[in-house]
Amino acid sequence: MTALLRAEDLTVRFRLAKQSLFGPAVHLEAVRQVSFTLEKGRALGIVGESGSGKTTTAMAAIRLTEAAGGKVLFEGEDLLELDDEHMRLRRRDIQLIFQDPYSSLNPRARVVDIVREPMDLMEIGTPEEREARVRDLFGLVGLRPDQLNLFPHQFSGGQRQRISIARALSTNPKLLVCDEPVSALDVAIQAQILNLLARLKDELGLSYLFISHDLGVVRHVCDDVAVMYLGKIVETGPCEALFDAPKHPYTQALLAAAPSLARRKSKGYARPMKLSGDPPSPLNPPKGCAFAERCPKAQAICRETPPDPQKLGSLTVSCHFAGS
Amino acid sequence: MTALLDIKDLRVTFNTRYGEVTALDSVALHVNAGETLGIVGESGCGKSITALAAMGLIPMPPGRIAGGSIQLEGEELTTASEARLRKLRGREIAMIFQEPMTSLNPVFTVGQQIAEAIRLHQNVSATQAFRDAVALLDRVGIPSAAERARDYPHQLSGGMRQRVMIAMAVSCRPKVLIADEPTTALDVTVQAQIFDLLNEIQRDFGVAIILITHDMGAVSEMADRVAVMYAGRVVEQSTADNVLDMPQHPYARGLIDCIPALGKGETELKEIPGVVPPLHLLGAGCAFADRCTLKNARCETEKPLLLNHGHHLAACHAVEEGRR
Repeated sequence: MTALLRAEDLTVRFRLAKQSLFGPAVHLEAVRQVSFTLEKGRALGIVGESGSGKTTTAMAAIRLTEAAGGKVLFEGEDLLELDDEHMRLRRRDIQLIFQDPYSSLNPRARVVDIVREPMDLMEIGTPEEREARVRDLFGLVGLRPDQLNLFPHQFSGGQRQRISIARALSTNPKLLVCDEPVSALDVAIQAQILNLLARLKDELGLSYLFISHDLGVVRHVCDDVAVMYLGKIVETGPCEALFDAPKHPYTQALLAAAPSLARRKSKGYARPMKLSGDPPSPLNPPKGCAFAERCPKAQAICRETPPDPQKLGSLTVSCHFAGS
Repeated sequence: MTALLDIKDLRVTFNTRYGEVTALDSVALHVNAGETLGIVGESGCGKSITALAAMGLIPMPPGRIAGGSIQLEGEELTTASEARLRKLRGREIAMIFQEPMTSLNPVFTVGQQIAEAIRLHQNVSATQAFRDAVALLDRVGIPSAAERARDYPHQLSGGMRQRVMIAMAVSCRPKVLIADEPTTALDVTVQAQIFDLLNEIQRDFGVAIILITHDMGAVSEMADRVAVMYAGRVVEQSTADNVLDMPQHPYARGLIDCIPALGKGETELKEIPGVVPPLHLLGAGCAFADRCTLKNARCETEKPLLLNHGHHLAACHAVEEGRR
């Protein structure tokens, strides 16, 4: 297996407004030394709660947010070192789908132009070839050719997401970053889009960096998964191993919290693991393990020393007591 | 057992630019004392309108209750005066909404807001009401309740705000609590806390809960009985176990099958093809016919009635005729 995208110690810092005119600048570390590898032809899911840094990690990895440190190797080339023109050309290999299919399409453009625009910008093919490709893409994502000249508002949410996917595929990318692509859709429509994404991945050999808060969705689409908490990856590995036998207490709690058809009120279910409280503020991250405050296994060492990632079978876990 | 809240044959219409559109048609539901009824369906199916109708909160005009009845302990609500409804709201029947931030007043402390609700319905002094508010905040699991009662809504996290809403809703010990997608804006671990809290509140206060959700997993964990809605009608109603384990209506079955489950890996999800038809374009037949694999000629011309099929109420010609 070869790595398509590899992040090493990626760090993102945001500068916040000063508290007072002469006070020091306040920085918020949204992503803290995150490393991950996305293999060619596979899908890596990033899960976590809001504010855990999953979107910021992905955006920094494709240079839509400036990283404060670390490396991002795309096919062996460090994206963070590229000059603007080379990065612009690289973008044809990296495309995005967003959460909200309503605000991510220009309401005043016809969808044929929306889907063609990336090819225009990248000067791919002749105008005739581009027109033909738009038609092909429409078929590929399950839209009809007679819908080419409509405007975005004439489509339903699921269809709009199909348009976003067609637009993303127009430059023939290698990597698709999907930022909560089905969160805004109804469950029945969600299934249609997830099946489409799974089919496209197989047919076109795409790789996905897939951000979602929905564990079921990630389990369905992804091969590997990374769980984030307060700007760090706390556990990562193949989906099967991680979902079947999670080692990090946070992952265990996350799985226990996800609503499941297997837990019935009539059977008097009791949640196997309960978490109290909210995640700590990233402005003032705890000295030790970020999860220690809410963790049922936490000991003195957890509050003092941040745990290093350790290998446990196929999983990599950052927890002092993961083995126990 | 007589139902606590009994909705029969409810029909609600709205004046729109497409003319008069029927948002609810022959809706029949009931909830018994102390139980939880889950109402599931996709956006636009009428689940929230049903709740608003029960609260007497449908904006009229453009809305209109065109027929049917809503009875709370035998008292008819559709013809009740506004003054009477104001007395009932909060005291007998209360509601919590999806986005707690927009349901709370930003310029009053949360303690003041709960105290106000108490004083509207009970003849107590302001200091006593505030003391009660603090006790309620403590009851819904807010740490240092006395201090938090003096906080403004923006100082609290999303989960804490929803706890405040729950405290306010149960402050006058209502018999029915309607929760309209109470956790949609929250993270999964916080969602789990809110679900556990609602179940606890139900045990302690004996309140009946109507949980409106699009999530079958939530229904499984929370509901005793379930009503599935589609395009303004109830299409299936039974105990949660019956609906989840052996759904009768093809739409109910589709909703359950299309959920990407945590336990299984990469198999294709069953899709429900197509989209929900716009309400103003509903024809004479079953609204689900165009998306249904079991449809025949009768489905396109005749609306199925909600009939009793053993353990289920289902509105489907295929179920009626034993077609599978």
